Amino acid sequence: MWTTKTFLTKTKRGNILKIVREHYLRDDLLCGSAACNTCPHKDDELVLETSPDSPCALFDFPHYLVLDTNVVLHQIDVLEEDALTNVIILQTVLEEVKHQNTAVFQRLLDIISNKKRKFYSFVNEHHKDTYIERSPGEKQNDRNDRSIRKATSWYEYHLSINSLDGKFPKIILVTDDENNRKLAQEDGIICCSIKDYIENVSGFVGLVDKLSKNVMPETCSKDALYPAHLTPSQIHEGIRCGQLYQGTYHASRENFLEGNASVNGFEKSILLQGHIGINRAIDGDIVAIEIFPKEEWRKPSNIVLEDKTEDPENILEEETVLLDAAKPVDNDDEITPTGKVVGIIRRKWRQYCGILMPSKFHGATRHLFTPAEKRIPRVRIETRQSEILASQRILVALDSWPRNSRYPLGHLVRALGPIGDKDAENEVILLEHDVPHARFSEAVLNCLPPNDWTIPEEERQKRVDLRDVCVCSVDPPGCTDIDDALHARRLGSSDGLATYEVGVHIADVTYFVKPDTALDKEAASRSTTVYLVDRRIDMVPELLSSNLCSLRGGEERLAFSCVWEMDENANVLSTKFHKSIIKSKAAMTYEEAQIAIDDSSRKDEIAKSLRVLNKLAKKLKKKRLDSGALLLASPEIRFQVDSETHDPIEVQAKKIVDTNSMVEEFMLLANTSVAQKILEEFPQCAMLRRHPAPPPANFDTFLKAARQQGFEIDVSTNKSFSKSLNEAVIPERPFFNTLLRIMATRCMQQAAYFVSGSLAADHYYHYGLACPIYTHFTSPIRRYADVVVHRLLAASVAGAGPHAALLDARRQAALADTLNYRHRHAQLAGRASVALNTHILFKNRVEIESAVVLAVKRNALQVLIPKYGLEGPLYLPSEKFTYNEEEHVQKCGDVVLKTFDELTVRLSLDSSNLQHRKLVFELVEPHVPGFSYVPDAGNMEVDDVADTAAPSSEKTHKKREIPAAAAPKPSKKRKSRRK
Amino acid sequence: MPAADLLSSQGLRLDGRRPNELRRIRCKLGVFTQPDGSAYLEQGNTKVLAAVYGPHQASKSKMSTEAVVVNCQYSMATFSTGERKNRPRGDRKSQEMSMHLRQALTAAIKTEMYPRSQIDIYIEVLQADGGTYCASVNAASLALIDSGIPLRAYVTACSASLGRQSATHEPLVDVSHIEEAADGVCLTVASLPSTGSIALLEMSNRLHMDHFNIVLTRAMQGCRDIEVILDGAVRQHLAEGWTKQDVITI
Amino acid sequence: MAGLLLSSTEKVFIVHGVQEDFRSDGRSNIDYRPMELETDVVSHASGSARLRLANTDILVGIKTEIDTPKPDKPDMGKIEFLVDGSANATPEFEGRGGENLASSISNTMQRAYHSSQAFDLKQLCIVEGKQCWKLYVDILILECGGNWFDAVSLATKAALFNTRIPLVKALLMDGGNVDLQLSDDPYDFKFLDVGSAPLLVTLCKIGEKCVVDPSAEEESCSVISLIVGITGNSKSYCADKGASNITDVDIKCSTISMNGPGSLAPKTLKNAIHQGM
Repeated sequence: MWTTKTFLTKTKRGNILKIVREHYLRDDLLCGSAACNTCPHKDDELVLETSPDSPCALFDFPHYLVLDTNVVLHQIDVLEEDALTNVIILQTVLEEVKHQNTAVFQRLLDIISNKKRKFYSFVNEHHKDTYIERSPGEKQNDRNDRSIRKATSWYEYHLSINSLDGKFPKIILVTDDENNRKLAQEDGIICCSIKDYIENVSGFVGLVDKLSKNVMPETCSKDALYPAHLTPSQIHEGIRCGQLYQGTYHASRENFLEGNASVNGFEKSILLQGHIGINRAIDGDIVAIEIFPKEEWRKPSNIVLEDKTEDPENILEEETVLLDAAKPVDNDDEITPTGKVVGIIRRKWRQYCGILMPSKFHGATRHLFTPAEKRIPRVRIETRQSEILASQRILVALDSWPRNSRYPLGHLVRALGPIGDKDAENEVILLEHDVPHARFSEAVLNCLPPNDWTIPEEERQKRVDLRDVCVCSVDPPGCTDIDDALHARRLGSSDGLATYEVGVHIADVTYFVKPDTALDKEAASRSTTVYLVDRRIDMVPELLSSNLCSLRGGEERLAFSCVWEMDENANVLSTKFHKSIIKSKAAMTYEEAQIAIDDSSRKDEIAKSLRVLNKLAKKLKKKRLDSGALLLASPEIRFQVDSETHDPIEVQAKKIVDTNSMVEEFMLLANTSVAQKILEEFPQCAMLRRHPAPPPANFDTFLKAARQQGFEIDVSTNKSFSKSLNEAVIPERPFFNTLLRIMATRCMQQAAYFVSGSLAADHYYHYGLACPIYTHFTSPIRRYADVVVHRLLAASVAGAGPHAALLDARRQAALADTLNYRHRHAQLAGRASVALNTHILFKNRVEIESAVVLAVKRNALQVLIPKYGLEGPLYLPSEKFTYNEEEHVQKCGDVVLKTFDELTVRLSLDSSNLQHRKLVFELVEPHVPGFSYVPDAGNMEVDDVADTAAPSSEKTHKKREIPAAAAPKPSKKRKSRRK
Repeated sequence: MPAADLLSSQGLRLDGRRPNELRRIRCKLGVFTQPDGSAYLEQGNTKVLAAVYGPHQASKSKMSTEAVVVNCQYSMATFSTGERKNRPRGDRKSQEMSMHLRQALTAAIKTEMYPRSQIDIYIEVLQADGGTYCASVNAASLALIDSGIPLRAYVTACSASLGRQSATHEPLVDVSHIEEAADGVCLTVASLPSTGSIALLEMSNRLHMDHFNIVLTRAMQGCRDIEVILDGAVRQHLAEGWTKQDVITI
Repeated sequence: MAGLLLSSTEKVFIVHGVQEDFRSDGRSNIDYRPMELETDVVSHASGSARLRLANTDILVGIKTEIDTPKPDKPDMGKIEFLVDGSANATPEFEGRGGENLASSISNTMQRAYHSSQAFDLKQLCIVEGKQCWKLYVDILILECGGNWFDAVSLATKAALFNTRIPLVKALLMDGGNVDLQLSDDPYDFKFLDVGSAPLLVTLCKIGEKCVVDPSAEEESCSVISLIVGITGNSKSYCADKGASNITDVDIKCSTISMNGPGSLAPKTLKNAIHQGM
C-alpha cells in the first residue's frame, strides 16, 4: 500500500539537538491529469484537462504550467484571474509560500479549491519518484529549485510514458529566476518567465496590468535615491547585539516625510524623519531602526506636509524645511529619540484603494497612483487603461520599492467604480478597513431556517415561557436588529424594602447559528455588523438579524434571559439565567419610552414597568459612578438621509435622553453578571472584555490644556479622575465639561476582548466602567463575541456540554484577536462613512458656526464644531502667527489662541482634490486682520467654493502653500455603544 | 482539541502518511539467547527491545497462589530521546509506563497456568519517536510469544490523535512524536483485537466527547492492523525454524 | 552471572584447557571471539555503535550538548561516561541491580580517557573559557557474555569515530556572552579524531596463564583479571604513561605478580585486537 522507505531530515535548534523525522515516500499519489492513464484516478480527482487550449501565443500546444515559489508569491493577483488554468502547484512551492506569507497562502488555497480553475496541488515531496535529498553544500533554496525541476521532468515523462496516441500536454515551468531557467533548459524543460507568458495571453483585458513589477529592490544601486537596506542576517545580528531595534513603522498622517516607530524599551516612540530616515518603510511595516546618539535627537516637526511633486529634486527642498522645524531648542521636553530605518524585517503591505493620476503624456503606460490612506506613499503602476481608470476608484497592490525609484512599484488589482459614486466610495471605505462585505454565500444561506419558521414544539418544552410577562424593547429609531428587551415587576418586599424582578432578554442567536456551520464561520470572520451612514453590513443574514432573531413587538421570539431579583436600592439579591420564549409587548424608541415614563396619565403595564426600570437604572448608575466609572463623551452625529437618494440632508448631534442610559445600565449589569458566571464556570476560556488603565503619559497634553483653563485634573485613579472631571465646570460655558470629556476619551486605551486563561486575573479590570470583570452578552445579532459568550453561558447553565471549539483556549485567543481587529476597523469604517457623508452634505453649502479648539499645532488648530460633531484643522500661516511651544498657544498680535478657546469658523468643502475632499475651516472670530474671513464680502466666494467640482477659483487655491490634511482625525477611542 | 496543521490540504500528515496509516513496523523475534523470549520492534523511528524471563519461582514477598506474577520494567536508553535523559528508569514516567505495561500484558497472559511463579518482562527503548508505550506492548507481545508463554490472544497497542482537514475532523492513527508535540489529543489503547476487548485506555489532553468515538475506533482499527503485522512476523519466524534459540551451548 | 551454573568439573576442564592454550570454544589464549560491529544505529544520537562480541551485546550512543568548560581547563571540552545495564541482559540488573558493575566500568572508561594523549579534549572546545561541547557517552549493555570492558571500550571508540559534531560559528557579543550560530546545512559537521582513543584489554588469569577475551564461563573460573588501557598510538601504551590506566580489579592480587604479564601482554594483544577489528 505504501513504500516503506524512510528518509530522515535533521534540524537542529536551541541547545543543538539532533531531530530526526520520518519522511514517507509514497507510490499512490495521483498526478491529477486526465491525460494520464497510469494513475488510478477516480473521476472527481481529475483536475487537469486532457488537452487544454493554450492561452498563450508563445506556446501553440496544449500544456500545463508549473509555477515556482516566487511567481506565486508575487503574482497572486494574476493567478486569481481566470486566465491561467491547468496549473500544477507543487508541495515544495506550497510549503514555501505558507512559510513566507500566510495571506498569499490562503489565497492560493482558495484558488486550488476552486474547481473551475483547474489548479492541482501535487505532493511531490512525498512521491517516491520526485523526492530529492539535499546534497552536500547545496543551499535549501537551490534544493527546492532542483526539486521543482525534478517534479516538472517527472510530469513530462509520466504523461508521455503511457500515452496511447502520442499526444499529451507538455509541461512549462514558469520562473523568473534566470539561473533556474538555465538549469531547467539543460534538463530539457520548457520554461518561460511569467512576464513573457502573461504578455502573450490574449483575451483578458488588463491582465498585464496586474503583473507585479518585482525587482530586487537592493540591486538597483544606479542613481539610488535611498541607502541600501541591510540584509536579514545583518539585521538579525544588529538586533541581537543591541545596535539595532525592531519596531513597527507608523507614518505620519500629516507629513509624508515623517513617521515614528514604537520600540520596546523606549517610552516614547522613535522619530523617523526625511526620506533617508524613513528609507522606503511603509506604514505598518516591521522595520529595523538605528537610533542616533542623543545629541542628534530631534522633535516632531508639527508641520503638515503633503507630497505633491513629481521631481525628485524637490524632495530635498521639502526636507530642509522639515528638518529645520525639527531642530530642537535646548531643554525641549518634546525631544524624541530619533533614528533611521536601516532595514525592513517584514513588509505589511496590503492592497490600497485610491485614484490614478494619469501621466501628462498621452499614451504613456506608467502612471502614479495616490492612495486614499494618507500614510501610504504614491505608487507607480503600469496600465494601458489610464483613460478609463482616471475617473475610477482603483485598488492597487504594492510589489517592491527599488532604491532608485522615488515611489514604490505596484500593479492594478481592479477598478472599484466611478469616483464620487456612492457605492464605489462605500466600497473604498469597506476595503480600506478590511471589512468583509461580500454577499452571503450559498453555503451560509443554506444554514438558515425557512422564512416562515416558527418555534417548534420541542423547543417550547425546553424553555421558560415568559410570553405573559410584559417585556418591551427600547432602541434608536429605525432599528431593525433588536437584540435586547427588558421587563420589571414588583415582587413583594423584604427587610422593609420593595423587591422587584428585573429581566433582560437577549435574542437567542445561537439557536440559529450552530457552531462550526458555514454560517457560524462566516459570522466569526465578520465578527461584527458594520454600520455605515446609509448601509449596514450584517454579521448574520438579514432573515436572522432583522426578523427571526430580532425581538420585534408582538411576536414570539426565542431569548436568553438574565433575570435578577433586586431591592428598591438596586441591590441584586439573586441572579438566574435561562433560555426562554418571550413576546415583546412593544418595540419602542428612546423617545417613545421617555414619553411613556413622563406621561403620568399612562397607567398601563408597559409604562409602569418602564418607570421601575428607570428608577432602578438611576440607582445603578449612581453606584457605578461612585465606584469610579468614567462618564466620557465623544461627538456623535446623526444624519437625516434623503429617502430617495440616500444622500444626507441634515446633520445633528445625537440627542441623549434618560431612557438611553436606562437601557445601557441594564445591559451593563447583564454583561457583568454573565461575565462572572462564565468566568466561574470556565476559568481558562471565558471570553471577556477588558479596558486597561491608560499610561500616565497619555494625559500630558490634556492636563496642560486643562491647566490653562484653571483646572487641575487628578488622573491617578479612575475614581479621582471621574471626580475631578465632574468638578471642572465653567457655568457660563456649558459645553466646556463635555469638551473636557471628549478630550479625556482620547487619552484612553482601547478596550479589548481576551480569553480569561491568557492573562493574569488582575488584568481583567475594566477601567472605564470600573468593574473587575466585564464581557459582551447583550448584542449577539451584531457582535460575534456575544455569540461566543452565549454559548459559554448556555453550557454553564443548561449543562449541555460545551462545543469542543469553545474550550480550545488557543483557538479562542486567536478569535479574540480577530474580534478586536474587526471591531476596531468597524468603528473606523463607521467614522469614515460619517466623514464621507459630511462631505456630501457640505458639497453645496457653507456655514458659519461656533467652534472650540481641541489642540494647538505648529501650523494649525484642531477645531471641533459641537453642533455637527465635526472636527478638522484650521491652518494658521506662520507669517502671521507665532507658535509658542512651551505654552501650546498661537499668537498674532493681541489674539492668543489656545486649547478650549471658543471661536467662530466658516465651514466649506474644498473639492479641488477629488481623492481628499476636505472641509475647510476658516477663522471668523476672533478677528485677525488680513486673515480672518469677513462674512460680508463672502457671498461671491460661497458660490465659488460650492462649485469646486469645476476648476477651482484662484482664491481657494492661493490660500496656503502647503495643502492640508483634513479628514476628521479619528479619536483614539470611542466609548459609545459599549453596552 | 484537534491541533491545527496536522493534516495538509492534500490530506497527508506531516511525515507523508495518510490518516489511517501506521508507521512502518519491522520486528524480529528471538534476538537474544539468554532470555527465555525476546523481540525487537521498530515502529517508525521508535525502536524497542523486549526480553522475557520466566516463568520462574516467584520471590516470597510477591508470590501468589492464584496466578503468575507479572513483573514489568520499562526503561529508556539515555540517548533515546531528542534531549538526553539523565537516567534510564526510575523516574515517574517510567514507573507509570511499567505499571501500564503490566496491566495490558497481564490481561493477555493466561495467568492461571502458573501459580506461585513470576514472569519478568523487560522493555528497553533504544529510540523514542512517539508511541513508545504502543511499541513496548507490541514488542512485549512478541517476546511473550517467543518465550512460549500461553496467551489468550495477541495484545497490541496503538495510539490515535485528531487532526483537522478544512472543516472535517479526521482521526490520525499511530501518533508520532511531532504529532504528539503539536499539543493535540493523544488516545492510547491496548487491546486484544481478536476478542475485541480493551486492556488499557489512556488519554492525554482534552478531547470533546463528540469526537471520542471516531478516535477510539481508529485506534482500535490500528490495533487490529498491528495484530496482522505481528502475526505475520511470528509465522515467518516459526517458518525459519527456531534455530537461533538452539545453536549456542557451552 | 545469570543462570550460569558451572559444576566444579566443568571449571577444571576450562582451567586445564587454558593451561594447554586450548580453550573450551577452540580458541587459543590470545584469540578473540568473532565480533560484529555496526555504527550509526541510533538516529537520535550524534554517534552510535553496536558491538556484538559473541553473546556480549553493547550499544553505545553519543549525545552532544553545549556546556561551559571547567575554569582550570578553559580550552577543553568534557566527556562523560554512563553505563547502564539493561534488565534485558539479566534480571539481576532490574531496578538498581546493575549499578555497581556499571559504575566500575564507567569509572574505568573515564580514567582511560582522562589523559590528553588518550583523547584530545581540545577538539571539543568552541570558545576558550566560554563554550565547549560536552559528550555524553551512554553505554547500554544489552546482553552479557563476558569481557565487558573490552567490548565497551571498543564500541565506544567506534561510536566516537562515528560521531558528527555540528559546525558552529561562535560570535563574541558585548558583555562576554557567546552566541552560537548553526549552519542550516545538515552536511556541515566534523568528525572527531579518535585515532588515539584507548581500548581496554582484559587479561584474565586462569590458573597460571592469562587469556584475552574471556567468555562468561571463563570469567567465573578466574579470580584475577587485569585491565590494560592502550592508546591507539602503537608506540606508547598507557601502562607506561600513567599509572591510572592500569587498574587492578581484584585488590587481593599482589601487584608484583600482576606486573609481569601486564607489561608483556599489550604488545602481543594489540595485534590480536587489530585482527579482531
